[in-house]
Amino acid sequence: MHMIKYVLGAGLLAAALGLAACGGGQDEEAAQSRLDMVKERGNVICASNNSLAGFGSIDANGNTVGFDIDLCKAIAAAVLGDATAVEFRPTVAAERGPVMQSGEVDLMSRNTTWTSFRNTQWGNFAPTMFYDGQGFMVLRSMGVSSLLELEGAKVCVQQGTTTELNLQDFSNQNNLNLDVVTFPDNTTTSEAYQSGQCDALTTDRSGLVSTRVGFSNSDDHVILPGTISEEPLGPVVPHGDEQWYDVVSAVMAMLIYAEAYEITSASVPATATGDTAVDRLFGLSGSYGQEILGISDTAAQDVIRSVGNYGEIYDRHLSRLGLIREGSRNALWAAAPCGDCPKGGQIYAAPLR
Amino acid sequence: MSPEPYDRDLTLPPPRLSVGAAGWVRANLFGTWYDGVLTLVCAAALALALWFGLVWVFRDADWGVVATLGGNFAIGQYNTEAACPGKNCFWRPQVVLLLVTMFLGMSWGLTKSGIARTVAILVASAAAAFAFLPYSMEKMGMDVRVLLLANAPALGAGWAIARHTSMSVRWFIILGVAAFLLSLGLLRGLPGMQPVPTIYWGGLMLNLLLAVGGIAASLPIGVALALGRRSRLPVVKVMCVTFIEVFRGVPLITLLFMSQVLVPLAFPEDFPLNSVARAGIIITLFSAAYMAENVRGGLQALDPGQMEAARALGLAAWQTTLLISLPQALRNVIPAIAGQFIGLFKDTSLVYIIGMLDVVEIGRAFILGNPEYLENARELFVFLALVFWIFTYGMSYVSRRIEYHLGVGKR
Amino acid sequence: MAQLPRTLTYQGIPVWRHLLVIQWTTQIVSAIVVVALVVWFFANIGGAIQDRDIPYGFSFLSREYQTPIGDHLIPYESSDTFLYALFVATTNTVVVAVAGVILATLLGIVIGVARLSGNWLVSKLALVYVEFFRNVPLLVQLLFWFYLMLTLPTVRDGHVVAGRIYVNNSGISIPWLSGSGGALTWLALAGAAVVIGVVVHRLLVRREVETGRASYPLMAGFAAAFVVGAVSWLAIGAGGEAPFVISLPGPEGRFGRIAGGFTIRAGLLVLLIGLVMYTAAFIAEIVRAGIQSVVRGQVEASRALGLSPLEALRHVVFPQALRVIIPPTISQYLNLTKNSSLGGAVGYAELTNVGITMTQTAPAVSIFILIMLVYLATSLTWSLIGNLYNRYVGFSWG
Repeated sequence: MHMIKYVLGAGLLAAALGLAACGGGQDEEAAQSRLDMVKERGNVICASNNSLAGFGSIDANGNTVGFDIDLCKAIAAAVLGDATAVEFRPTVAAERGPVMQSGEVDLMSRNTTWTSFRNTQWGNFAPTMFYDGQGFMVLRSMGVSSLLELEGAKVCVQQGTTTELNLQDFSNQNNLNLDVVTFPDNTTTSEAYQSGQCDALTTDRSGLVSTRVGFSNSDDHVILPGTISEEPLGPVVPHGDEQWYDVVSAVMAMLIYAEAYEITSASVPATATGDTAVDRLFGLSGSYGQEILGISDTAAQDVIRSVGNYGEIYDRHLSRLGLIREGSRNALWAAAPCGDCPKGGQIYAAPLR
Repeated sequence: MSPEPYDRDLTLPPPRLSVGAAGWVRANLFGTWYDGVLTLVCAAALALALWFGLVWVFRDADWGVVATLGGNFAIGQYNTEAACPGKNCFWRPQVVLLLVTMFLGMSWGLTKSGIARTVAILVASAAAAFAFLPYSMEKMGMDVRVLLLANAPALGAGWAIARHTSMSVRWFIILGVAAFLLSLGLLRGLPGMQPVPTIYWGGLMLNLLLAVGGIAASLPIGVALALGRRSRLPVVKVMCVTFIEVFRGVPLITLLFMSQVLVPLAFPEDFPLNSVARAGIIITLFSAAYMAENVRGGLQALDPGQMEAARALGLAAWQTTLLISLPQALRNVIPAIAGQFIGLFKDTSLVYIIGMLDVVEIGRAFILGNPEYLENARELFVFLALVFWIFTYGMSYVSRRIEYHLGVGKR
Repeated sequence: MAQLPRTLTYQGIPVWRHLLVIQWTTQIVSAIVVVALVVWFFANIGGAIQDRDIPYGFSFLSREYQTPIGDHLIPYESSDTFLYALFVATTNTVVVAVAGVILATLLGIVIGVARLSGNWLVSKLALVYVEFFRNVPLLVQLLFWFYLMLTLPTVRDGHVVAGRIYVNNSGISIPWLSGSGGALTWLALAGAAVVIGVVVHRLLVRREVETGRASYPLMAGFAAAFVVGAVSWLAIGAGGEAPFVISLPGPEGRFGRIAGGFTIRAGLLVLLIGLVMYTAAFIAEIVRAGIQSVVRGQVEASRALGLSPLEALRHVVFPQALRVIIPPTISQYLNLTKNSSLGGAVGYAELTNVGITMTQTAPAVSIFILIMLVYLATSLTWSLIGNLYNRYVGFSWG
């Protein structure tokens, strides 16, 4: 009987200790704003892609480069004054939601489509920096001229984005019978398509254009007119910190307005130019709110000097893939100094003042 | 260790019935009519495969993608601008490589065995040979080449240290563990050095680090689990069995995925547990479950008389386990552990599921991001198969020789 | 006052050295530590889920999945629920696992025996096979087969072998039976026919044993089953169309995709080839070790008794080697099942592949918990089969 008492006593004691340990783990920490966290840490952690041509990929020296990558660098330049103070967290499509929700990254710039589901579940979307839409590519010799002629086709789909869902909607709406094969990445998808395993390849049009550039017989393939979805792509920031969201949005606006004012990385003014709009942007006269945002007055100088304006970033990464900007949705809406001479694109941000 | 003549197998083979090349061919290739048919069919298939293979390798294939990525296969993004501003970190992985060759030299000096010598010399000369790759000086600087060449003297130094000091195997192992930890510290950045975030570790270096670290760390855990599984205490046993069966029962990629999406939620946002560490922990636990089963097999194979004798001599249970059962069991499962190491090394290629740039993924990501190389995926995967094959075949060859050397399976 | 020293009275073993106390304290303490860790882990996750509004739970299972699944053995519509879609994906995994296990076993035995062949070329080729396929990661091998498959003619080339078998890089299509309205009825009747055949066989065997008269039970059993099956076939056929008709594959529509017959799609084919070639290398080594574990004298004795090499292998060596071969082979079956999770890389809609797609519209953590449970169940099934076998041969390795 003694023994049992001891055993019970020991058990209860240990259980109490265990509970105490559990309870102790729940202590509250003073919430620190993400901006302060980033400044203290000294770098921006950015969820990124490393396998999408033009947006986030690896160059021959092993560097991660791309349109989305430069957006991350712009944030680092604005907040820390150093465009290289970014830590890229490579993220596969399926873990994007959990990574944003866990709060382990400061932002995600990873060709992510802005949808209302993601906006509520993953985080807030900053201004759209690239407009895309899902399209189809087929062999020219098949004589297909419209999306509706794809009845009975075998379609290669790249997994993990909204493409599969859009494809289902499209075939439901038009009563098309499509046979679908899903591949995890662009290499396998495009190889399967190019070798004739599939009749059509579907992904975002930007992806189709850049994939076709890589084909040795690129003229034999035609990208069908029209898209079956709306894909506005932009950076995402975690929920729950409006100041940080405002900073990211403002930096995106800086990139856009710098192009509108025709200021490139080579022509960033260091002294007042007399053009009030430009001076305001670069912190040379007055301020449009950097103080309230908590970043330096001259943040825009650092940003444009290190990564260039929107047009420069676009040319650097996307033009080489054959994505023509002139006349597309990704042209600027308007050159800023002239309100009624629209350029016809949709790239636009809230005025900086 | 002088050769012991009594150990030799003195049974001699029967005298050969046929002699000469023709006799050998008749005996080994055309023994019966169906042997002959089999031989001809196999030979024809072999010839065809070789012909098409060689034509492709030497004429049709474009190996530009392999040459372009070059050193990134070895270290991934470790020496990029983002990982190491100023690009002055390339020497750290190279120093780690020097440490490896030095230890190979030490094991040669220590064991004086032929296989250790072969491996050490092969690795050191292969590393040194890389110094002569026909890259431009801009892409592969003189400093890189010199450090590669230094592998030869490093081998000699290791050999000399082992020969001219009274180093024991125990010290060798302790030094090895210390060197591994030092290597990790060096790669991450020792105090006062530019730190390189682990997210940029990649290439073959990452595969090897995960495999070596995983197998080493899983050994003690696996032993504990194996002992727990054989324990007479029901609660302990149930917990160990549950752990082992769960980790053995699900694919590694689902575990890795969970490590990325679930584990971060369990820790505060600023807890310094990066994805490499998480992958390392998951790989270790996964490997520990397999290790436990291997060790258990070794424990079960022991003669119960050993334990009975130990108890009869008055050893306590823990003494019996630590001094009698485990040393024998571990010696018996060396081949199984070697096999597991090879399996783990291959499995490290699965970290692609969490976006890490190991040797496979860096090649894949490069092709994906640069459509002009889309059509060279074949060449890339043949190259990767070769890289893996060289390592795994080398490992299994060494393990077979060690097995032979230790006389595992012989009584 | 003369007091006896206390030490002379026997106090029993001190409580803290009592074996039961030590054992139970160890167990309770370790259990509490483990439970506390697990509780801490999941309590933190639960807290994080609440704090950050992370979607969780399993209510999505009854929602419509609304996404295509390329491969499905059982009927699937995009309007089916997540739960059913997961079930479809599970059947895809099971198909690969079962077919892969059978083929890998056959190939493994062939290669394992070839390793021990007296023919130098054959044994060396088998060795090269084993050393190559064992030592290259499965992912790399799968991609290799994937690219090899793509070099086949396209479906537009209309490549046909042996009459109506279509071979192209989208898959292989063969003529197959296609059921009509009476198919299910006939299948039920055919099942009954088999039962009748077995009963007839049993009865005749008993009669033969009891009376000693030759009653040809096997032949009679087959005949009974055949007659019942054939009569019901004709009866159903007389009412309209035969229960099963042969469906021939053929090109259809603008893109010339093959319809009719039975098509093994490229993804399944590549995954099967990859898994089988990879696993067979391991099974071959197990088979070789098993055969070598049989004492050489056994083979020599059976040869001396006049058995041919093949008969010796079949009747003497294999039955003995099997005890050594089966346990590790079962664990290879388990590995094959788990390795099928790489099928997504070559475009096969197995469980993990579908699960990753599902994370687009449902909580990732919930999906992966379900997937892991399914794999765990499959693994435990394999373990169970292994244990049953062990009990059957009367020896234990677990």
